[in-house]
Amino acid sequence: MTIIQPAGSAMMRRTTRTYRPSTVIALIMLAALIILPLFVKSYTLSTYRDIMLLSLFALSLDIFWGRTGILSFGHATFFGLGAYGMAIASIRFGLEPQWVSLVGLLFGVGVAVLVALCVGYFILYGGVRGAYFTIVTLALTLIANQIAIGWSSVTGGDSGLIGVPPLSIFDFDFSGTLSSYYLALGILAVSLLVALRLMHGRLGLLLTAIQDNETKVRTLGYPTQRILLLTFVSSAAMAGFAGALYASCAGFVAPDQIALLLSTEVIIWVAVGGSGTLTGAVIGTFVVWQLQQKISSMSVAAWPLAIGTFFILLVLVFPKGIPAFVLDLFKRWNRGGVAR
Amino acid sequence: MQTAIPFLLNMMTLIGILLIVSMGLAIIFGLMNVINLAHGEFVTIGAFTLVAVQAAGGSFWLALLVGPLVGYCIGLMVERVLIARVYGNPLHAILVTWGLSLIIQQLLVLTFGAAPQRVTGPFEGAIDLFGATYPAYRLFLIGLVMTVFFATIVVFKKTNFGLNVRAAIQNGEMAAVMGVNVEKVNARAFASGAAMAALAGVLLAPMTAVTAYMGVNYLARSFFVVLVGGAGSVAGVAAGSSFIGGLETALSYQIPTTVAQALVLVMAIVILRFRPNGVLPA
Repeated sequence: MTIIQPAGSAMMRRTTRTYRPSTVIALIMLAALIILPLFVKSYTLSTYRDIMLLSLFALSLDIFWGRTGILSFGHATFFGLGAYGMAIASIRFGLEPQWVSLVGLLFGVGVAVLVALCVGYFILYGGVRGAYFTIVTLALTLIANQIAIGWSSVTGGDSGLIGVPPLSIFDFDFSGTLSSYYLALGILAVSLLVALRLMHGRLGLLLTAIQDNETKVRTLGYPTQRILLLTFVSSAAMAGFAGALYASCAGFVAPDQIALLLSTEVIIWVAVGGSGTLTGAVIGTFVVWQLQQKISSMSVAAWPLAIGTFFILLVLVFPKGIPAFVLDLFKRWNRGGVAR
Repeated sequence: MQTAIPFLLNMMTLIGILLIVSMGLAIIFGLMNVINLAHGEFVTIGAFTLVAVQAAGGSFWLALLVGPLVGYCIGLMVERVLIARVYGNPLHAILVTWGLSLIIQQLLVLTFGAAPQRVTGPFEGAIDLFGATYPAYRLFLIGLVMTVFFATIVVFKKTNFGLNVRAAIQNGEMAAVMGVNVEKVNARAFASGAAMAALAGVLLAPMTAVTAYMGVNYLARSFFVVLVGGAGSVAGVAAGSSFIGGLETALSYQIPTTVAQALVLVMAIVILRFRPNGVLPA
């Protein structure tokens, strides 16, 4: 079956020791990102900071989707909850300035975790898997978006909330572009490493096994529902964290940070890089985000049209992600050369 | 009594709307097991057919005939080009139909513009019913939905086509061996689901703001109707619509509509925990 290959199939696991192209590209990118501030202006730098936070968001989706094969259409909910949590805590709670960022982060991530825990419990323990899970999470985003727009006394309604203070925790101040840039880079690098470590280890194997045959894994004595729930909640926590950081860097929140389109976009970022590869999620975000800016500057309708076309192509032409598609092309081309 | 009758009729109207929107989905998703995220857009297509027909000087009644026809043709095309390639692969179906829905939305915006469209219902005015006055169009809608609902049941239970569809879905290979043209049956079943959605769109249009994005409002709710009711059972669709429509109407008398809609979907999630196969499984 040609599903969008959730990596970790037997063949890929055997090759983890050799350096895969995606890992090499990731290392080159990391090096480039470290020295980038020497060459660019502070506006470009802040753009790259935002992309890195969105990459963190993409990574959070890939942790769950890539390994379990269960597609969440509602990850923007958790990103948005993180962002709104941060904004609401820092604007409405009336806290001392030195506590604002810390409480905001905790509150944002906390709300995201709580919602993921409740929803995840009801649907994962209820045996909802696969496509049904996708529908329920899709509805979750719609609900969250309705609330963000409708509950305007708290969320600011359509216009959102402006004036989220820049990040500063204890004596560390991240209000400057450079410091927040390196903060984002550090968080992204650490998260990526930890995620790679976990997903190539025992937990990753277990999740892949659950995807292949949950009943069998359960018979072997693993609490599969709890494992899935914990993975889902961790993924949501990471998305919420990315959202909270994004809100404090951007300085505002708006309903489009908790909307279905964002849920859709993050799926594309991950799918372009090849779901399940983790580094691919980051690369995908960088590539697609740049492309997105170019396309949306042409006309308002162009970007959704491009997404739609992309989804259809994704399934019909390159179900394993674009990098894998290009590699396959190369292989076929090489083989053809030998035969001739 | 004076307030109870409008309340009941409001409830019936919403249940009717959900029923007619979800019935198409019950065929495509419930019976054929295709996750069609573009279902809402077929509703939109129906509504825009009414817009186009009325702009060309046609009547509502003409659109009521043309709408399902347009939906059927587009459904047939979509099935041939896209859906036929993703049977048995839910993830692919989700991505393809979601892509399709985004494309249809933008094409409609490009053709008709983003502003809400103007449509008119077939008749204005209200009817006196048990001492309460109620818009005539809504009564007409309730009646028509009931008719279509029972007609669909008859088609699926009593006709050859219905038998073929059920056979092709239960065991495609066996049905093919018995001489059923499974590809053709699948295409027709999908197209009838799309036609049903388009019919719902025509009926809905005079009551709501017609925009290219209207379909999303019905997408999640219609999926929940099918899930809560029990995928694969026709009686389930009625049960699901009654549950979601009834609860939503009752709640929206007390709290804002958006919050009521959200609350009902949350309750539906809770129900799925305890009855994963729906209230009335097939």
